[in-house]
Amino acid sequence: MTLRRTPELDRLARLHLSRRSLLAASAGLAGAAMLPRGAFALSQDATNAKTGVDPNRFTPETIRQLAGTITVDTAAELHALVPADTAGEVMYWNVGPTEASSAVEKRFYDEFLAAFATYYPNIELQNQNLDYNGMLDTIRTAAEGRAAPAVAKMPILWGVEFAAKGQLQEVTLEEFGLSRELFWEGALKSVTWEDKLYGIPTNNETMAFIWNRALFEQAGLPPDQPPATWADVVRYSKQIKDETGKNGYGMVAKENAGNTPFRYMPMLWAYGGSALDEAEENPTYQTSMINTEGGIAALQNFYDMYVTDRSVPTSALTNTQVENQDLFMAGELAMMIAHPSEYAAIRDRAAKATGQDKARAEEIVANMVYGLIPEGPVRRAVVFGGSNIHIMTEEVHGGPIDRDAARALIAAQTYPEWSLKNAWAGSNPANLRGFETEWMKQRLDEIRFLENTTSMLPYGIPFPVVPQSTEIMNVIVPQMIQNALTETLSVEDAANDAAEQINALAVRA
Amino acid sequence: MPASAASVAPPRALAPARARPRTKRRRFQVTPLGLLGWLFLAFLLLFTVVPMAWMVSTSLKSEFAAIQQPPVWIPSEPSLDQYTRLLSPAGETGRQFLTYLRNSVWVSLATTVIGLVVAVPAAYAFSRFTFPGRDMLFFSVLVRNMFPAVVFLIPLFILMRRMNLYGSQWSLILTYLTFGLPLSIWLLKGFYDNIPPELERAARIDGATRFQAFRLIVLPLSAPGLVATAIYAFIQGWNEYVYARTFITDESKMTMPVGLEKFFTEYASNWPGLMAASFIMSVPVVVLFLLLQRYFVQALTEGAVKH
Repeated sequence: MTLRRTPELDRLARLHLSRRSLLAASAGLAGAAMLPRGAFALSQDATNAKTGVDPNRFTPETIRQLAGTITVDTAAELHALVPADTAGEVMYWNVGPTEASSAVEKRFYDEFLAAFATYYPNIELQNQNLDYNGMLDTIRTAAEGRAAPAVAKMPILWGVEFAAKGQLQEVTLEEFGLSRELFWEGALKSVTWEDKLYGIPTNNETMAFIWNRALFEQAGLPPDQPPATWADVVRYSKQIKDETGKNGYGMVAKENAGNTPFRYMPMLWAYGGSALDEAEENPTYQTSMINTEGGIAALQNFYDMYVTDRSVPTSALTNTQVENQDLFMAGELAMMIAHPSEYAAIRDRAAKATGQDKARAEEIVANMVYGLIPEGPVRRAVVFGGSNIHIMTEEVHGGPIDRDAARALIAAQTYPEWSLKNAWAGSNPANLRGFETEWMKQRLDEIRFLENTTSMLPYGIPFPVVPQSTEIMNVIVPQMIQNALTETLSVEDAANDAAEQINALAVRA
Repeated sequence: MPASAASVAPPRALAPARARPRTKRRRFQVTPLGLLGWLFLAFLLLFTVVPMAWMVSTSLKSEFAAIQQPPVWIPSEPSLDQYTRLLSPAGETGRQFLTYLRNSVWVSLATTVIGLVVAVPAAYAFSRFTFPGRDMLFFSVLVRNMFPAVVFLIPLFILMRRMNLYGSQWSLILTYLTFGLPLSIWLLKGFYDNIPPELERAARIDGATRFQAFRLIVLPLSAPGLVATAIYAFIQGWNEYVYARTFITDESKMTMPVGLEKFFTEYASNWPGLMAASFIMSVPVVVLFLLLQRYFVQALTEGAVKH
């Protein structure tokens, strides 16, 4: 395969242009520094070693300055890599929008499919939109049965399992006309297994904290100030329950639901614990730190809220974030960790309300305030999430894979335009050029919540990049929480039991 | 010939209910035990009806109203929007939903028909013929039911793929048959065992072939069993999720249970849409059951008792 000269490569050669835009952004930052920054204040000075996110470059202010500084011609860029007349076919599986998704997500999903058909009219794209909860098992089964798709876009946690099983093809950034500088380091780490690259990041995001101002006010709490620490969350949650009768914190503890680790790990990391040692400076992924002093303190917080204070929904053991969002929307829940796409979903549902409901829905949206996820004694932390796109091996696909068609599809997904548009309401473009496009400007105007999730980016910690990650995060961690909350085991024993299981997994690996 | 075969009267035990002599209706009396029984039945009824009623109520609400606390039984502004959207072929949602519905009907009907075509002669053979290894074969048919269905997921997946059926609705039909047939055969064998072989012998003496005796005597008498087996097979195909989720990835071939997932995302659910789709999905089964319940109940009682 011959590498073609592409606009992406050209851009790297002309990096000074990007520097210029960065200077413009810095000027913006200097101006913005004079403004009250409130909840957006960042305490980190250096680039986050975990994710490679430069906290000076990626602030709400600088991102706003960067937006709209370049224009891109996606078709031309793609055709420079894979010619327009390329013929072939590619079977593609992904987690796409459903009936419950916001209108904007559905619109861009359909627009991408239509756009790809115009970019490559001779490539037959067999697109399969699978649901989030079912896709992992479906793709595992399909891979075992030699019927996996040629290309799959998966949540960030899943890919390494398939890479370790030898079910993903090794790729290079260059074959897609990309380079390392275009991505955050943490994003690339999530597709790296044993020093080889097995996929390309499509989008990356962090979550933020969301609360109901009216409930805070009723409980006698400062309505515009989120709890600063996790200890405050426990205290606020109790106060809200005592004063208003409503649920304080939106706890999620369901087993086998990705939502649970995304909401528990930020607190665990904040207290200095971790599932393995992923929060440490140089993780080795050999030993669990879930039962350290900090790990036990974090679990104790959950215990206090659920068992002692009863200040969280009693259904927390079986709740996913979907149920929490419903409670929040109903004004029955005061605060929770929320994904960027939830903001769009809440607004979408409010917009569809009619009659008397309309006023209540608008009131909820008006009282919805968002800020940084609280910090702990050791750090402020959030899961560095996102999705990656992979090429499966021909063996698990059960036949030859049209590499050019796969490259065309992956390039279309990871170049600035669709890397941004496909992440419109729920994430950020993994390709950092996406931040500089005109669409980013429009997006920032439409979805204000993004400023907060962006502010959390420098605090991002990726899940351990080991094949056992899904089992640790989706099974062992929720089981530990459930053991403690149901008092099947004491808090300490539950943490020790989880550590034992994780260590056993690490040894087996 | 058919006339003589038809002239063979069924035994008293198998005669239709209407032929039974009328008994004088007893006066209704309220006893403490009877009252307790009624209360228990009312509780069971509530247990069954309340979720259905809640499903209908939610399907008539807006997405926002559906999640409000405290929950409201009667929507303040009921709307048929979700039903209109789901059943309108003009919209994308409706087109997709009607495709799932059509696929479910096709897969369930095919499973039912093929299941009966295979189970009826198989059960008859087990009931009437003596051949080497009959008992062992009969019980081996049931061995599959000793294991949870999910155990067979990967083996069947590989099998379907090797047979080039992966992604095809035939993979579901064949899978459902492997699960449904053992019970169908078992159920029907019980029926055939209860039909005295003398009836067939009488028909044979009157000149009927074995097949004619089967068709004209045994089949009509086993109608309740056939209906019960058909309903069982249909419902099994109609509701099955795990295999449908795994074997079919093409949206145009998906069945209803998998289609219902389209109302969930990782972070939100469209509850009214989901409830409307669930209600529509439950209608064919309820209608089928209401139409054929007389046979179903008859089958359950007669097939279960050795006369």
